[in-house]
Amino acid sequence: MMADSPVKVNNPGDAPATPSPEEQKKMEAAYNQMKRKMAISQMGKAIKHKIMVLSGKGGVGKSTVATGLALSLAQQGLKVGLLDIDITGPNVPKMMGLGGRRLNVEDGRIHPAQGHLGVKVISMAFLLEDEDTPVVWRGPIKLGAIQQFIGDVEWGELDYLIIDFPPGTSDEPLTVTQNLPDIDGMVIVTTPQDVALLDSRKSITFANSLKVDVIGVIENMSGYTVRGKAPSGTEIELAAPGGKTIHVTADDDGEWAGTLDIFKSGGGEKTAEEFGVPFLGKLPFDPGFVRGGDDGVHRIVSEPDGPASQAFAEVVAQIQSKVESGSSDSRLEII
Amino acid sequence: MNIPELKRLERRDLDMHLTWSEGTEHEISYDDLRHACPCAKCGPQRNDDESSLILRQNVENLPKEKPMVRAVGNYALAFEWSNGCSSGIYRFERIWRLGEKQDPDNGKAYVHGAW
Repeated sequence: MMADSPVKVNNPGDAPATPSPEEQKKMEAAYNQMKRKMAISQMGKAIKHKIMVLSGKGGVGKSTVATGLALSLAQQGLKVGLLDIDITGPNVPKMMGLGGRRLNVEDGRIHPAQGHLGVKVISMAFLLEDEDTPVVWRGPIKLGAIQQFIGDVEWGELDYLIIDFPPGTSDEPLTVTQNLPDIDGMVIVTTPQDVALLDSRKSITFANSLKVDVIGVIENMSGYTVRGKAPSGTEIELAAPGGKTIHVTADDDGEWAGTLDIFKSGGGEKTAEEFGVPFLGKLPFDPGFVRGGDDGVHRIVSEPDGPASQAFAEVVAQIQSKVESGSSDSRLEII
Repeated sequence: MNIPELKRLERRDLDMHLTWSEGTEHEISYDDLRHACPCAKCGPQRNDDESSLILRQNVENLPKEKPMVRAVGNYALAFEWSNGCSSGIYRFERIWRLGEKQDPDNGKAYVHGAW
């Protein structure tokens, strides 16, 4: 019987069939998806550089480095955004002095919070009821949230968007690379010990499989500098890890400093060399990062001229020279 | 803000001469340029008249020199000086405003951490 057929035939002259609530829902979803795609394509143009920050292993200070890169770029007067995609452990807001903030949504668009130096921040932490509540989401919901964080956020014009990922080679970077156009590349954060290096090698291979450029490798926690005072010319012996002894001498002002390679040294450089990717630099092991992160004031903000800020500035200069070299305007004549 | 494309930048002893794609020419003194540095250290100093004046005096007391100029992508320039601050990245819009003798900060105070 015709009435039981799954195919509906509208005769000419009939009033158009009203979609069922289910069909209406599907149409709305398709419309929202299309709107999001358009917004993402606009975003590709409005944000000049997009950089992913990854590490193969947890605990290497990836979020601290991502936050530091964003702040160091903002220190130059650039417009910077920081997207914290680490859904399971979003730490960026706390480091940016934005702990306890909620998402600001107006007219269906998410507006980022502004942290230190005007850096715009979006993080899953803005959705959490409290810091102790874990996010237990299955893949599709997680990926939907990431798509929303890409397509529904009102970033405005940015010079740089730094994207902080959870550790490992999971599906978050995959979702971002599939949804966000014109990504400049990936920065891989590592510490010098063998286990971390092994995992960063995986990250480099992962980047290659995603067809994303590796901008370079950053070695974090790369040496702890102990400083002290003693009468000028005093020779001091420091017991360093691995049974080594470091000899330092107090200078004319009576100051001495010795660097202890707590997690070995030079491994990041070795990995970069092995895989033929640039080495962007070393960031020192600095307990001030931990205190600063907990207090919501990054070391770059509390000590803009300190050694950590300088180390970040050097790494950022390397990144800028890599991502901006291809886009330099050669038509400008400078004499 | 739509501005023409910067075609030519000539570094002279005390200022730079700029030529834009639609023919506009600007002269910007190095003192004006350095006073308008957009970095996070110089920016807040222009928020009130008193500290802005101190910044201006500090800039004017620096030895006069021609900077090294570097294009940053296709949207900004960086100036490197042997003394003083070289941190700022100057977007072309900022350089245009300086050439037009407008407020380079476009009337906006440098503020951290507000929604």
